[in-house]
Amino acid sequence: MRDTVQDEIVKEFEGLEWFDKYELLISSARKAEAMDEKFRTDENSISGCQSKVWIRSSAGDDGRLHFEYDSDAMITKGIISLVLRVLNDRYPQEILDIDLYFIEEIGLKSNLSPARADGLASIIRRIREIAEEEASGSS
Amino acid sequence: MKDYREDFPILKKEVYGKRLVYLDNAATTQKPDVVIEAISDFYRNEYSNIHRGTHYLSELSSEKYELARKKVSDFIGASNPDEVSFTSGTTDSINQVARSLAPDLKGNEVLVSSVEHHSNIVPWQMVGAKLREIPKDEDCNLLLDSVEITDSTKLVTISHASNVLGSVNNIKEITEIAKDHGVPVLIDAAQSIQHLPVDVTDIGCDFLAFSGHKMYASTGIGVLYTDEQFADIMPAKGGGGMVDKVTLENTTYLKPPLRFEAGTPDIAGAISIGVAIDYLNDIGMDNIRKNEHAVYSYARDRLLEMDGVTVYGNTPQMCGAISFNLHGIHHYDAGLIMDKMGIAVRTGHHCAQPLMRSLGVDGTVRASFALYNTKEDADMLVEGIEKVRMMHA
Repeated sequence: MRDTVQDEIVKEFEGLEWFDKYELLISSARKAEAMDEKFRTDENSISGCQSKVWIRSSAGDDGRLHFEYDSDAMITKGIISLVLRVLNDRYPQEILDIDLYFIEEIGLKSNLSPARADGLASIIRRIREIAEEEASGSS
Repeated sequence: MKDYREDFPILKKEVYGKRLVYLDNAATTQKPDVVIEAISDFYRNEYSNIHRGTHYLSELSSEKYELARKKVSDFIGASNPDEVSFTSGTTDSINQVARSLAPDLKGNEVLVSSVEHHSNIVPWQMVGAKLREIPKDEDCNLLLDSVEITDSTKLVTISHASNVLGSVNNIKEITEIAKDHGVPVLIDAAQSIQHLPVDVTDIGCDFLAFSGHKMYASTGIGVLYTDEQFADIMPAKGGGGMVDKVTLENTTYLKPPLRFEAGTPDIAGAISIGVAIDYLNDIGMDNIRKNEHAVYSYARDRLLEMDGVTVYGNTPQMCGAISFNLHGIHHYDAGLIMDKMGIAVRTGHHCAQPLMRSLGVDGTVRASFALYNTKEDADMLVEGIEKVRMMHA
């Protein structure tokens, strides 16, 4: 199923050369908020990434999940910012159900391979694990 | 100078429509045509299992395998080919020594350098040895005055060249100190065998380990040199091909090298090491050293000239790897951007977390050179760095 936010991202990346794509990711990372130092803990960090990545979630009163994130590498942070543009502030079940087709469509599919050092696969897995816990906890 | 790129078919490839600038040679080197053809030719025309075969092909394969052993033995200056056993790589070689010496090492001390790869750290910990470091100065020169050998020191193990910094350690002096105390020495030559003349007799070490794939041969094959005075140590692996008599009560083992080669080895891999050695000998290790040094020094000087670049390590002799960071830019971002320019570098901790910690960084960008790299490659690296910076401006 097509999704407005993902379609928007695909459009933003359409026709861009690699360097322009990376520049766009770096600028997205710069616009994203920095995570408070106190939350950059081992518990919130994701292993399997060459750069440091932290993710933390909180559930709103309506049950939607909000994620905060950070990374010390700009391109990695930029990629997470796109993933969370799609998944942030959604209900846990929606997070589990959404097919992140935009990753392939903007040419980052190889970044999803578990062998890739940016650990995008681990990041998405962590986000879904959190959603799964929330979904089973609230059912 | 001859363009050695011509000998390596993969280097004619373009990546992302650009000339491939392959600077990840400390991870693995590319293969020359002669090695690729030898492997293919062996499987096409000569292949069989080795040793004890009564038939033509088995004889032929055994002969070629043993010839490769002889070539390795000559290449590293061993006193005879029986001191050379084939393993699956440097990591396997070091693990085998750790397991063989385990009864001695357990609860005792192994002296390592402060610039080691994890494969020269973890195997010793796994057999219960306690590791102590030879300290280094801020340029990563090992401080020999601080080498302290105690009654508990059962082994000194040290890399010839650092996989991260390209620093060449003074292994001869360290071996001498260890020998004065009667302590055996292992040299990890994974990052030197392809760059420098390596002679076990001259070094005086008891064990030496290296990998085929980092010296232009295939993956899955490595070498362990074991001085003949350790010919009776317990083999680390048991199985076929390494036994003398087997009963259900007891087994006796063959003499080295077969003692250390349980199971069917990587026959084609061993042959590929022999061919790679021929290739290196045809050029001459002294010539390789001279040519590589010119390119390496040029690249290093160009990086040192740049503002906002920190280059790690500075020892009297260097080879292979150069590690650096760009101020305010994550090494991973730098690597990703350079990749899209056709420049293959490696980023991260390079399997040397203790060294990273001592340098106060999480990782570095590592450009590592081989005999086919040119000053043009170094210029491309500098261009790559400039592009990375521009994109972060």
